[in-house]
Amino acid sequence: MADSALPSFIVLHYLKIWLASVRYSLVRSMMFRGDFIMWSMVEFFWMGVNVAAIAVIYQHTDSIAGWSQYEMLLLIGTSMLVQRLLMGLFWSNLFEMGRNIRSGNFDFFLEQPGHPLFMVSTRKIDLDSLLNVTVALAIVLFAVNKLGLSPSLGDIAIYVTFVGCGLVSSYAIVLLLASVSFWTIGTKGVESGYFTIYEFSRLPKQAFSGVANIIFVWILPTVVISNAPARALISGFSIPDAIWVLSSTLIWLSLGIVVFQAGLRRYSSASS
Amino acid sequence: MRLLIAKYRHVFSVGLQSNIVYRWNFAMRAAFSLIHLAFVFILWRAAYQGETTIGGFSLHQTLTYFITLLVLQFFIGAFNEDYEISEEIRSGLINQFLTKPINYFVYRFTIFVSARLVSGLLALIPLILALPLIGEYLTFPPETWRLVLGLPAALMSALIQFTIAYIFGMLTFWFLEIQSFVILSMTIETLLGGQIFPLDLLPATIFRMSQFLPYYYQMYFPAAIFTGRIDYASAVQGLGIQAFWVLALLGIANFLWRRGLKEHTAVGG
Repeated sequence: MADSALPSFIVLHYLKIWLASVRYSLVRSMMFRGDFIMWSMVEFFWMGVNVAAIAVIYQHTDSIAGWSQYEMLLLIGTSMLVQRLLMGLFWSNLFEMGRNIRSGNFDFFLEQPGHPLFMVSTRKIDLDSLLNVTVALAIVLFAVNKLGLSPSLGDIAIYVTFVGCGLVSSYAIVLLLASVSFWTIGTKGVESGYFTIYEFSRLPKQAFSGVANIIFVWILPTVVISNAPARALISGFSIPDAIWVLSSTLIWLSLGIVVFQAGLRRYSSASS
Repeated sequence: MRLLIAKYRHVFSVGLQSNIVYRWNFAMRAAFSLIHLAFVFILWRAAYQGETTIGGFSLHQTLTYFITLLVLQFFIGAFNEDYEISEEIRSGLINQFLTKPINYFVYRFTIFVSARLVSGLLALIPLILALPLIGEYLTFPPETWRLVLGLPAALMSALIQFTIAYIFGMLTFWFLEIQSFVILSMTIETLLGGQIFPLDLLPATIFRMSQFLPYYYQMYFPAAIFTGRIDYASAVQGLGIQAFWVLALLGIANFLWRRGLKEHTAVGG
């Protein structure tokens, strides 16, 4: 009894902290309404650019690595969905983490009522990105409709789980990149490298070969993030895909946490 | 005239030196661009599966277009000139130019030219290293008129790129932050400048319409001349429209500078 009460207390404690961050972000967004509208439009336009690219290429060809136009749209929609969730929930927190480590403001997070990793990752949410999650979702639904798919509840649950795993892996990659700041004292971070890598999640797995296949499909989780959920909707649940997604998520998250903790130990000892 | 050149020659040499300081930033940027090029290769190779041509061009021609675009970007593209100008306005650094016989636009443009010289040459290094991998895809048309018309087109593109960045910098006179304007405009420039796909793949009417917008002349136009995507007549006609846009944008930039200074003195009291 006491054993189960403790974890639920901890969960409640962290939920309360997170809700406080959400409230703070909401108030902030409403204070800077102009910014909120502008940034929502920026993200919306970028998504439009990617959709336009697909529309134009398919004017001239029927398939990209065996994927039809709407299958490709589903892939891109899924890739955007994961990215918008990452942007909305974690990106600016992790981006600022790198900057705070370099400036010394990171101390502030060590004094807060929760684990530093939780505190740095959830300090604020970006409502403009979360608003665009609905746009990404609309693209996915549009593609599903055009493909004539009628996924069962089970398929949808798998899709949601895979997208969740994609979010966790993306988070882990950015955490890793931001944690580099614990060791380097350069003026500029490498967090933005994430965007360069993430671009590959808009491509079908079948398009990769040779070294690119090893790097982007098997080593980095970029391709699995979008391909596995999209494939689950198009051709149903596949056990190899599930193993691929879950193991890659687990490995990258563990790696992210281990590196962050190592950095944290280094930071504490450096500042004492 | 000689005095004028001497004056800005010093600006150029200072710009050159200060940009060499940022050589690692440029090198890193170039390395990221190569990774982006890998994305472009994978995407287009997959799109060409089962097709010998797309829009009348082979896979090699299309990849040559994207490689040319990458090189051009480091030689003529505006990087963060808009933010630098914005910062100089915000911090009041421009005040010193108001009392000196220095034209702020020419001053900033000179620094831009020196910066692009550094970044362009640095970007060639990773590209040359990657040549064994990408060399087999490079295929340029043999006509010499493409060089004769392509070079002035590239120069005017640089002017257009810089002047648009300068105009965004001028917005600082009226707005606190310009970042969202810049990124919003960047999405349009990326798409209509031909960086996502060669513009000639657009449906004919939209392609025709895009030729009247300044974005067409920012990047696509010189790249298309060099890589054989447009013919002689379109290139000559394009140069005319491009020259119009150079003049129009210079006019807007000058207008905003004059109006902005009125705001500036009002604020500075």
